[in-house]
Amino acid sequence: MTPENSPSKKSFSQKFAELFPFDWELLRHAGSEPVPYHLKKWWFCLGGTVLYLFIIQVITGIALTFYYVPTPAFAYQSVAHITNEVRFGWYIRSLHRWSSIFMIIAVFLHLLRVFFTGAYRHPRQLNWMIGFLLLGITLVFGFTGYSLIYEQLSFWGATVASNLAEAVPLIGHWLGYFLRGGPEVGENTLTRFFILHIGVLPTFAFLLISLHILLIRLHGVTELRFEGEVIPEEERHFRFWPDHATTEIMIGVLLMYLLTILALIFPASLGEPANPNVTPVHIKPEWYFYFNYRMLKLTSLKLSVLLTLALGGIAFFWPFIEEWLARKFKIDDRVPVALGTVAFLVFLVFTVWESFSH
Amino acid sequence: MTLTTKRYIVAGLSFLFLASLLLVAYQESKMKRVEKKEEAIVTSVNKGCVDCHSKDSPALVMEWKYSRHARVGIGCLECHGAKKEEIDAWLHEGEYISSLVTPRDCAKCHVKEYEQFSTSHHARAGEILASLDNVLAEKVAGTPTNKADAVNGCWQCHGSIIKFKRDKDGKILRTGQENKPVIDPTTWPNSGVGRLNPDGSKGSCHACHSRHSFQAKLSRSPENCGKCHMGPDHPQIEIYKESKHGIAFYANRDRMALDKSGDWVLGKDYSAAPTCATCHIGSYMTPKGEKVENSHDVGQRISWTLRPIISSRLNLVIYEDGFKEDYPETRKLPQIGDEVITTEKVVENEKLISKKVPRKVEKIITWQERRQNMKGVCLNCHNDTFVDNFYKQFDSLVELYNEKFAKPAKKFMDDLKADGVLNPKSPFEKKVQWVFWELWHHEGRRARHGASMMGPDYTHWHGMYEVSKHFYQEFLPAVIEAAAETSPALGRKYRNRVAKLLQQDEHLWLKGLTPEEARALQKMYKERYNE
Repeated sequence: MTPENSPSKKSFSQKFAELFPFDWELLRHAGSEPVPYHLKKWWFCLGGTVLYLFIIQVITGIALTFYYVPTPAFAYQSVAHITNEVRFGWYIRSLHRWSSIFMIIAVFLHLLRVFFTGAYRHPRQLNWMIGFLLLGITLVFGFTGYSLIYEQLSFWGATVASNLAEAVPLIGHWLGYFLRGGPEVGENTLTRFFILHIGVLPTFAFLLISLHILLIRLHGVTELRFEGEVIPEEERHFRFWPDHATTEIMIGVLLMYLLTILALIFPASLGEPANPNVTPVHIKPEWYFYFNYRMLKLTSLKLSVLLTLALGGIAFFWPFIEEWLARKFKIDDRVPVALGTVAFLVFLVFTVWESFSH
Repeated sequence: MTLTTKRYIVAGLSFLFLASLLLVAYQESKMKRVEKKEEAIVTSVNKGCVDCHSKDSPALVMEWKYSRHARVGIGCLECHGAKKEEIDAWLHEGEYISSLVTPRDCAKCHVKEYEQFSTSHHARAGEILASLDNVLAEKVAGTPTNKADAVNGCWQCHGSIIKFKRDKDGKILRTGQENKPVIDPTTWPNSGVGRLNPDGSKGSCHACHSRHSFQAKLSRSPENCGKCHMGPDHPQIEIYKESKHGIAFYANRDRMALDKSGDWVLGKDYSAAPTCATCHIGSYMTPKGEKVENSHDVGQRISWTLRPIISSRLNLVIYEDGFKEDYPETRKLPQIGDEVITTEKVVENEKLISKKVPRKVEKIITWQERRQNMKGVCLNCHNDTFVDNFYKQFDSLVELYNEKFAKPAKKFMDDLKADGVLNPKSPFEKKVQWVFWELWHHEGRRARHGASMMGPDYTHWHGMYEVSKHFYQEFLPAVIEAAAETSPALGRKYRNRVAKLLQQDEHLWLKGLTPEEARALQKMYKERYNE
């Protein structure tokens, strides 16, 4: 070994570079991604907001897992313990609950923005589909998490949902059994929901979010140019780091304020413990499933599940469907805007309608 | 379409989204408020009562508010309201009311339950007031002026005859500015299931459905029945706790749907265990998937009576007016349509009297049919071989007790009376009477009840073991002793009778075991305990 090659002569950064041979230029390059001007407005930052809320979910979720016990005998008790006895338990649980609601709202708003500005079009079809899968994962996150509380409503919500799964064509019976871990909601169901909620779903969410961001980075953010907006060419883009990152941090801080205020004023509550023998008078899922629940009441179990699958399928493949429609019927972008508006309005009407029914 | 237009659409939809969410949240919170509000509806007629009694007796009002009655607006006056002419009514804050709520008051709404209950064994529990049990409490344990043992003991389960304090002309004494009638404190408070009420009704619904919360889970819980069905003479609750049924219940109480509103059907709403109510009066599913309705007429599924000295299978005769009479199998059954002179116990001038009433037979339920009704419950969990064999085991125990101990003992007692050894007017004068009383009323019942509800220890150690020990060691010597006290000749007669009885096969064990049996016994103790 020559003296200049001896480890003792090297600086710490040299040593580290040898141990971890990563080209840091790449990161710098990634961080200096030019961001289009419109992203200076916060309402275009909803994708980042979802990511921020997801991180809050991961951190508070890990904290809750320290105390949560996923068995029918202790699930409710452990949630009550977290809420009433563990130091800051109520706050962590309330943050987890409120940020889950915010996350779902932000996902919907992000989807609206992307849809109506046509940001899903070529070459970004694949990212739309990934985003749509993430919407599904978010909803399943919400549902499984709610069921873990093991209070009366969440228990019966899980029962209804497993019946819905049963109505899926071909694989329904298998799917229902797989979710429940038996013919009825019980001990196995809770364990399965727990594993889904803290293991399977986070893994998929992490992979898909990474892919989603990677594709955004590869394609670049869709640039939106508003009519009559006069922006000098050199200001059309700004740097991701630190300019856009600062906006995101600001949004994060504001969200944290908002979440804390909500946690203080409306802390996560706890209903009656689950009782498989007593069916509550009002069984209701969480609000984001009201649309499906209303559809179920208007049609039948089987038909509502088929409709959900069909509508989900159309939305998932929409970028390709739209291209096909454009080729075949020469439609312009007023058609998807009109369709999207009607679809979302129906979603809202069904949601509100369901909330009025007892 | 311009990007600005799209921006407005997105903004509009987002705004609508937010508005929808707020509306949904508002509806949710409203629903929760309504649900909470539903817990107690204080109607205008009850407002005055609730306002005052929320201060005077707050816990009572809280309990009522917790009840299902309160949620549908059934309040104080619906139950306590009375007509001016009613014997126990008085004018209180502008309304005629009564402290007593009788089954007839409950029948204003619960007609079916009232009719079922009124002809049941429970409703007639107060008729035991003329029994040996009462002699023990009122005379033996009491004094001519103090019946406290009966008041605090027997009557609290069997029910009292509600009486009022009266002046020398027989007029009810009244007290205070409101002229409240003075109830005889020895007769009320009383929640005995067979209480004899001034309005002629029998029983008290709150014996099982405790006021004022009237929770279903109370009457469905075994402990509720255990208030009375316990102790040395009928330890049903202790036997239940010992049985597999009781073990399953206490381990699975949370799966029993005890608080379910409306129907509570075995095989549909719950399956973990049967309670007292399940087997004796509860609703259950049949193999055809039909529901057998519950009934407030307890006893419809009982095929043996295990209470008397000698047990008997029981047929049931139902008359046209709904009156029911148990016919022991030894009593000849009438034909449907026959007119029969029945004995009915009623209260007249605050005294229980027997009345002869001619009635027409409408229906006869045989003991086999009653047993079949009970088997219907059993079959929800067990197969027919299991159930049939259980009844064979149970029957054989009752027959063993009847034949080996009860019948010979009763014969001795009857003969002692016929020979003038015992005074029929003095049922607890001599030792033999006490021993005999406990032999059938305590030990014999324990054995029979133990077998009926699958409690092994109560069948044997608290039951047949005690019966056997006291029969041989206490009763037979006491028979001879009582006879010898009367005259040497009677003493000899009964000594010979006892000796003759003990010559029978079932008593020959007294002469000793066979050499093989004795050796086997010694071997076992040697091997097991080295003794």
